[in-house]
Amino acid sequence: MATSRDDFGIAIRSALLQRGAKQKFSLFALILASILIFTLDNLELKPVKVLRGVINDGVYRLSAISSSPISFASASKNFLSTHLNIYKENEELKKKIEVLEKDRFDTLYLQTENNKLQEVLELDKTTAYSTVGAKIMLDKNSPYLNSVIINKGSNVGIKLGMPVLSKGNLVGRTVEVNYISSRILLLNDLNSKIPAVISPSGEQAILSGIGQKNPTLEYLPDGFQNIDDLTVYTSGKDGVLFPGISIGKVINNEVDESRVKVKLFSDPNQILYVNVILDKSNDEEAK
Amino acid sequence: MAINVKGFKDSLLRSLPLIILIYVSISEFQTQFYYWKIFSFNLQFIIIYYWVLRDPSILGYGFIFLCGLVNDVVLSLNLGISPLSYLFVSLVAAYIRAATVRSTLISDWFTFVIAIMGGNFITFILIKNFSDVGVNYTDFFYNSLFTFILYPAFWSIFELYKRGISLRVYD
Repeated sequence: MATSRDDFGIAIRSALLQRGAKQKFSLFALILASILIFTLDNLELKPVKVLRGVINDGVYRLSAISSSPISFASASKNFLSTHLNIYKENEELKKKIEVLEKDRFDTLYLQTENNKLQEVLELDKTTAYSTVGAKIMLDKNSPYLNSVIINKGSNVGIKLGMPVLSKGNLVGRTVEVNYISSRILLLNDLNSKIPAVISPSGEQAILSGIGQKNPTLEYLPDGFQNIDDLTVYTSGKDGVLFPGISIGKVINNEVDESRVKVKLFSDPNQILYVNVILDKSNDEEAK
Repeated sequence: MAINVKGFKDSLLRSLPLIILIYVSISEFQTQFYYWKIFSFNLQFIIIYYWVLRDPSILGYGFIFLCGLVNDVVLSLNLGISPLSYLFVSLVAAYIRAATVRSTLISDWFTFVIAIMGGNFITFILIKNFSDVGVNYTDFFYNSLFTFILYPAFWSIFELYKRGISLRVYD
């Protein structure tokens, strides 16, 4: 028994301390270095944060370059599959155009009616936002985080928590801002919680990511009716996101009835360019 | 000149596992192999475990540490989490190397479970206690499972590769 314990001790000591052929550092020294770095990073000292920002910017650029062959292969695959499905897609698009034409007339009517009502109520007519366009540099899905890296950072005025749009729909918010790059936490990430309002019923809820493609609505009022054509918008209740940004449609044919899922208008896994909302424009800019 | 070219080729071939490890840590490799919402695997663990166990002269601990740091930056984890988990995998591999006389696929494969469990446990504990990042337990489990299942396939590839470079060196 004592011999086997001795053998274990010798083998562990050898593994930890022996440097062997072509090893410049022992495992023990590197484990200590990792613990030290981890502690310094957790203390969140300003010099360490600045250093981390610089490292982030450098590594993200390098990562974008090294990922380009994989991205190219993936893009080529998508390009080919898109071309193979072009006939079917064309038929679907024709049908959609018909529906959209009808919707356009409805929208024009509603817009006119809305303007009239706003004039009556003297409401704030500001609807547009000051945004900054950015390109997705890295698309990292991992067991830990569903996020993307964009090529703009604090150099253009991006700050933490700013909403991010793709084709006018919310896709996430900024959770890490470096000088020339930022990380966007996508709506379907486990850590994403967005206060939302359901239209036309006006019920309030929290849109939560569950690590799957479609996020879910939580904290719905009792007796919530999952009927057709419910649209989800930001409610702006957190005071960070602006109200009225479109998010997606409630899915009402989902087999799992315990969860109310939302199909996002902009698929977070397909985005290439985004707009980060810096601020609301004033009335003049909105016009 | 011919000797130099051969020497360069040999050193390039011997560095290939390290190049792959750096590439996997820095690129979108993981994202591209994330299928059916469950399939993902940790290629870094496989590379580190195999090469530290079978030929430690190919993969230095210092490089493993650096790849861990890069991986933390890319995945937005607190710096030091991945190096600790990678170094734990290296520790298990180094211990198995020191404790066993002759290793086989089966012995390597089953001891790899300890490395995966320990490495992921370190990552999980540190994320849970020192970070705001939420972890999807199911994804974590599937990632570990597929890493374990795929080990023999990579073991065979690396074994063939190792034989290939050994033959070149003693040519």
